[in-house]
Amino acid sequence: MKAAELTLGILTAVGGFVDVSELVFVSQAGSQFGYSLIWVIAISTVGIIVFGEMSGRVAAIAKQPIFSLMRHRLGLRWGLVTLAASLLSNTITCAAEIGGVALLLHLFTGLPTAAFAVVVTLIFFASIWMLPFKWIERSYGLLGLFMLVFGAALISIDPPWHAIAAGFVPQVPPALSLNERIVYAYFAVAIVSAIMFPYETYFYSSGGIEEEWGEKDLSTNRVTAIVGMSLGSLLAISILCIAAQLFGPRGISPELLGTVALGPATPYGMAGLLLASLGMLFALSGAAIETCLANAYSVSQFFGWKWGRHRPPGEAPRFTLCWIAVFLIALLIVLTGVEPLTLAEYAVVSSILVLPLSYLPLLLLAGDRKYMRRHANGPVAKILGWGYYALIVVAAVAALPLYFLTGGGTS
Amino acid sequence: MKPDARLDLVADVRDLQIVDCDEENCGIVDDLELEGAPGGKLRVKAILVGPGAWRNRLPRWAAWLVRRIAGDKLTRIKWEEVEKITSVVQLRRSAAELGLGEADRRLAAMLPKKGILDASR
Repeated sequence: MKAAELTLGILTAVGGFVDVSELVFVSQAGSQFGYSLIWVIAISTVGIIVFGEMSGRVAAIAKQPIFSLMRHRLGLRWGLVTLAASLLSNTITCAAEIGGVALLLHLFTGLPTAAFAVVVTLIFFASIWMLPFKWIERSYGLLGLFMLVFGAALISIDPPWHAIAAGFVPQVPPALSLNERIVYAYFAVAIVSAIMFPYETYFYSSGGIEEEWGEKDLSTNRVTAIVGMSLGSLLAISILCIAAQLFGPRGISPELLGTVALGPATPYGMAGLLLASLGMLFALSGAAIETCLANAYSVSQFFGWKWGRHRPPGEAPRFTLCWIAVFLIALLIVLTGVEPLTLAEYAVVSSILVLPLSYLPLLLLAGDRKYMRRHANGPVAKILGWGYYALIVVAAVAALPLYFLTGGGTS
Repeated sequence: MKPDARLDLVADVRDLQIVDCDEENCGIVDDLELEGAPGGKLRVKAILVGPGAWRNRLPRWAAWLVRRIAGDKLTRIKWEEVEKITSVVQLRRSAAELGLGEADRRLAAMLPKKGILDASR
């Protein structure tokens, strides 16, 4: 297996884990609740590995992407509901990422955020138009690895490792008041949603088909899902721990993206700040491209059109027009002046509502011997899959009440 | 599965991806046209593709909305044109010969044929 084959997983993970929602919720969770939410990241990571691996396996064996088979399994009406909900969630997420990148560039230069939003959208447009799929995944995936500075920074500030280890144990901190427990629950649900964003599996399975995965690639799929998602998870845990160690004790709630980048500046000074900002810039850019393409994949697959970035834009015209339209709509949302972090909150809440609809057909398909033959889900995948499905249903039911009770985690 | 085998129509064929003889995606089985007398055997006569077929499966308000947005186009593909059914429905001839993928051809004329860099891997 070539190391380059892992880049699909790395892009999905870095872009998926460390997108703007992740940065916001994980940092704020660390600042407010110390290390006590690490277990939610750990549990959600296993969940996204389970569903990611399944989506790659379905792509490799059934040779059909999730949205195409989803319509066949759910039927037209429920398929359309799922499509509409995921388009909404992904477009808001895409807007949040574009807004986040523009905000970071504004912090660097002082120039207007709106102008940067237009410029970065044009750069993303040019990237997808000009670059073949492999180049897109390699360039944004590997440049996003500047985020590793968060891991190095965590080691350098020498946090209380025993407290971090204790954070892996499922818990609700006993000292919390009822109000704080509700906010804690909101952050737990938001982290599950931010880590298990369904666009990751749409993008991942479509990527597997773009790369013409087959039966021989099943081990590549397994390794990319595990290594890529685990790497993203370690970054997320590092960001949470840095916030817990540096921001929490000083009463700082990292509600600005720039504050999150200050973490690595503590041990490494300006170089740390620069590397963290670059990492965030490319991770958010990768996530913007992933969410945009995920929407174009979903629509094209739902209606059975030609799709893919392995072919020139003119050979899959409706797919091409779809991703252009998603970028335009996302840019318009950003230009209305809505804060990227507010968009990230909307994205996370809308995403958790879509999760049960998105993952049910995937579970059914991956367990269906008619399509998957001897590669259908075995007992372990079945137990993990349905267990996690129960978890996301509970999270989806709890999401809206928690959002309104806490005012989006602010009270 | 061969096209003359017994089919559970809803479960096996409806909403499946259609590919032509060149393995190109060219739509979804949006509905099926059946023939047969009451009490007799039902036989699939044709595959129906396009918004004109699938909008009728939606509630009235949604069907009206689809008609306004996507139009009423409907393409009939004779069942005899089906080569085989797997996780897709494969046709014997090309999409163009069967009247599918017209929107792609129309839009393709408006877009450059290639990206600036070669998309072949």
